[in-house]
Amino acid sequence: MDEWKPNPAVKPHKKRSWYLAWKYKLMNQRALRKLCQTGAVLFLLVTVIVNIKLILDTRRAAYEEEEESAQDYDDEMLNVEVPRHPVSNKKVLDVEVYSSRSKVYVAVDGTTVLEDEAREQGRGIHVIVLNQATGHVMAKRVFDTYSPHEDEAMVLFLNMVARGRILIFTIKDEGSFHLKDTAKNVLKSLGSQVAPFLSWRDMWTFVGKKGGEVYGEKHAKSPALSTWGDPVLLKTEVHLTSVEDAECHWPDTELNRRRKRFCSKVEGYGSVCSCKDPTPIEFNPDPLKDNKVFDVPVAVIAGNRPNYLYRMLRSLLSAQGVNPQMITVFIDGYYEEPMDVVELFGLSGIQHTPISIKNARVSQHYKASLTATFNLFPDAKFAVVLEEDLDISVDFFSFLSQSIHLLEEDESLYCISAWNDQGYEHTAEDPSLLYRVETMPGLGWVLRKSLYKDELEPKWPTPEKLWDWDMWMRMPEQRKGRECIIPDISRSYHFGIVGLNMNGYFHEAYFKKHKFNTVPNVQLKNVESLRKDAYETEIHRLLGEAEALDHSKNPCEDSFVPDTEGRVYVMFIRMEQEADFTTWTQLAKCLHIWDLDVRGNHKGLWRLFRKKNHFLVVGVPASPYSFKKPSSVTPIYMEPPAKEEGAVAVPAVAAAEQT
Amino acid sequence: MQKINKNVVLALLSLTSLVFLLFQLYYYKFYLSQKNGAVFSKVRGSQSGQDSTRWHVVRKFLGLISSHNIPVYLIDPLILGLVDKDIERIRSSPDGRSPECKYFCAPRDFTTFALLDKTWKHEVGLFRAAEKMGFQWLKIINKDPRLDGMDDLSGVEIPLHYIFKLASHAIHLVVFYERSGNYLWHGPLRLKQHMDRKFVPFRKLHFGRYPGAYEKPELLLVSIDGLKVQIPKNPSSFLEEMSHSRFLECRYREARAFFQLYPDDASLDAVEFRKKAKSLLHLAALTLNNLGVKFWLSSGTCLGWYRQCNVIPHSKDVDLGVFIRDYKADIIPAFQKAGLPLKHKFGKVEDSLELSFQGEGDVKLDIFFFYEENDHIWNGGTQAKSGKKFKYLFPKFTLCWTEFVELRVHVPCETLQYVEANYGPDWKVPVKTWDWKSSPSNVQYNGVWPVDEWDDVIQIY
Repeated sequence: MDEWKPNPAVKPHKKRSWYLAWKYKLMNQRALRKLCQTGAVLFLLVTVIVNIKLILDTRRAAYEEEEESAQDYDDEMLNVEVPRHPVSNKKVLDVEVYSSRSKVYVAVDGTTVLEDEAREQGRGIHVIVLNQATGHVMAKRVFDTYSPHEDEAMVLFLNMVARGRILIFTIKDEGSFHLKDTAKNVLKSLGSQVAPFLSWRDMWTFVGKKGGEVYGEKHAKSPALSTWGDPVLLKTEVHLTSVEDAECHWPDTELNRRRKRFCSKVEGYGSVCSCKDPTPIEFNPDPLKDNKVFDVPVAVIAGNRPNYLYRMLRSLLSAQGVNPQMITVFIDGYYEEPMDVVELFGLSGIQHTPISIKNARVSQHYKASLTATFNLFPDAKFAVVLEEDLDISVDFFSFLSQSIHLLEEDESLYCISAWNDQGYEHTAEDPSLLYRVETMPGLGWVLRKSLYKDELEPKWPTPEKLWDWDMWMRMPEQRKGRECIIPDISRSYHFGIVGLNMNGYFHEAYFKKHKFNTVPNVQLKNVESLRKDAYETEIHRLLGEAEALDHSKNPCEDSFVPDTEGRVYVMFIRMEQEADFTTWTQLAKCLHIWDLDVRGNHKGLWRLFRKKNHFLVVGVPASPYSFKKPSSVTPIYMEPPAKEEGAVAVPAVAAAEQT
Repeated sequence: MQKINKNVVLALLSLTSLVFLLFQLYYYKFYLSQKNGAVFSKVRGSQSGQDSTRWHVVRKFLGLISSHNIPVYLIDPLILGLVDKDIERIRSSPDGRSPECKYFCAPRDFTTFALLDKTWKHEVGLFRAAEKMGFQWLKIINKDPRLDGMDDLSGVEIPLHYIFKLASHAIHLVVFYERSGNYLWHGPLRLKQHMDRKFVPFRKLHFGRYPGAYEKPELLLVSIDGLKVQIPKNPSSFLEEMSHSRFLECRYREARAFFQLYPDDASLDAVEFRKKAKSLLHLAALTLNNLGVKFWLSSGTCLGWYRQCNVIPHSKDVDLGVFIRDYKADIIPAFQKAGLPLKHKFGKVEDSLELSFQGEGDVKLDIFFFYEENDHIWNGGTQAKSGKKFKYLFPKFTLCWTEFVELRVHVPCETLQYVEANYGPDWKVPVKTWDWKSSPSNVQYNGVWPVDEWDDVIQIY
């Protein structure tokens, strides 16, 4: 704006001419001309000023308008967002690791990432995996190597961890009793000097990089069998590498971007994060022809067992006819890792603030998940309900697609379930066969929206009731005599070992030998005969064709059933009234099938397979099918063993199934 | 000397003004490009440049969308308004190509499209492709209202709006979600703190100031200005719907707080009553909607929605409001046909009309008719035994959509004033004993019906 400088010089001149103009106005032409000139100058000046003002004004107006316009659309929840921790560019991490009899902790840069001083738990070797570029905790595990086989799990885990990750080890209480040489060698290969000589009640801490340098190790030997080694505190520094070095160089695709995000956050998922030939995370199973369940929402109920969830989702997404868009994973609690797994597969996940405790918590989580499912998919008439500890059969959706119309049309049905409680390796045979049963098995099932909205949701047990949702659903008040359709060979497999009502022994005894269908595209047999009346006809036909077995033999003996194939046999057991399951329970026990409560019955009839023969059990006289009993046959009665066991065990464990 | 001086001054001034003029031109151009020029193009006279820009942007966007198999439909009120005038011609010649660009060139800042959430996967690929084509884009996400009513579910934010900007034109893509109650919902557009407030002039958007509720539209594939695009089959009714589509979410947080103070009645009776009330409300809504009678939740039912997002279990009936101008004589036979016999009828169309129908199992459906005055709205009540008339006064209100017991229904937008007029400032406290003649804080004594009219204005069945 230097051009403006002459202006002040004009001013005095202007003032004088103003006065002169009046004086010479009429008699001096020059004065007139001068006046005009001055006027022109003045006019110019004014124009310029006005114009500048105009520009400034429009500018301000435009600015204000935008400010204002944005104001209408401002999120009301300002300031809610907590500023994230600034990403530190630090290249060195301070790591502190403490090992002692009753307490362990690990602190990274002053932040405690592990602290365990609880009594009677957390014994063994704690392992923490850090990202070598960011220093974030990627995995936290504890292996109770005081107990057998835990060291094998630890070796498995350590082998899965990618090269270059930072590993932190610390022992709480005791970690050497069942630490075998294989495991010790693995630790040695990581750079530990002490590991091969770890012994009873030693304290030990170790920080190292997988396949690289050792950052520190400390050890305190136990002086005597009855005492522990002194607590050890290891303080060391870990040098971070660049992000590029810590990542694999997969081709840049949408899938690999998800993979990258996942693999930079968590560890312990094996080859999904391998730099070379990683396991696929998209499966593209064959679509189903005429898929009737393509638009049925699938709710996956999950807790904090991300490894289970990972396995479960893999099998679910590999099932033919799956529609990933309809899948929602409901996570009970604000757990990050399960959410990471969900995002790895590109699915949507919803977290649920934990309310209530234990059983009631699971129950409330179920309710919230089911309600949310029907809210999210208001058009849906059904929902498929799955749990995180299930493998899903390849023909799971095919099975549902072929049978779901029954649930829509037959009012006497309660659910369709993929699980046969009595379908063990030795008792299930025919993948195309379906049953009607009076019990609700759960473990992968279809719920009708009207049943949920009109009956279950309004009276769902409230948190203070502390009920199991599935036990509640099995109660006669809810079931109202309706039945579920199940396959002979289950379309789901329960692999969960760690659970609310689960432990290794229980799983071994009741779930491990369960039969699981692996044949794709099974064409179900005679689905229409599953309707209420048609099923009775079918049962009568079956019983008409069945041969009565020799009731003088012991039904627990293998020889009770002849060594034939493809025949239909029937046996009669004593069942005084509808709720008399004394003999059945004993029979179930010796057949090694589900005996903790009564499952799989239909009007006093059980159907299963023995030695590839269809094997029917009829309870006489309670069952309406009793009339099929030849008069010569005396129903078998089996006495329960000594009272104490039967009476105490059953109710206690009855609540303990599937979780 | 003086002369030279003057010339210099004059020359300098001319130079200044010249520079200034250039500056002004530059500034004008700059301003234009920033403001997308909708206002200015009119002034400028020569429109073609700007106009064809809009058309090109729309064409590019539609190309992008169709290459990703994403079905969008046009909901731009401006263009639909123009289209509606020629709807017959456009419908009859789906491939007809008019030489001039009549619709997509019309001056405006945005072109608005709708997208049904369930018809697409949230692919990141779309945005990469958009960027490659030169689009800048903005995504507005927020909480999922379908989970809002649920205790403590969280973790998901859903995309509500997308804005794709290219040159001086922007495409506003509104994401519609299906919700319980068989309707489509779109969310409000709210900018988070870190967002670019000047990305586009947000205030000029036609969608997003409030959330909105719509019926599922029937679509029609047409060719407009040489572009194939889906539009609502009946643009004028869509525009009509748009004008009062504002949606109010239930106040779930406050409802939760209410239940903290006054735990919900979970008895079997309460469950049963709620079930009956819900099915009665569904039936009533179906009947009235079929007749085309606009209604809203009134009295206790409205209070239940506003205070606890549910039916109040100790209320004994379902209350609806209808403007008397919407009254139809068919209402009574239609309800009877639906299995709800008339229980009583008080008043007459000219004054204090009120209908009650007998629902299943002792639940009553009350329909109050509202009369509009200059500065207030009122409805009437009648005491059967004495013929006394009462008047309930409300401040004026407009109607908004909401979702209640899996139903899309109207409520007064100014719900708080409505509820406060009816129940006083203590509406937050549950009251179990309620006398409709004296308890409401807006009741006025309104005289007595003349005895000779009683047969007509007090009918009890």
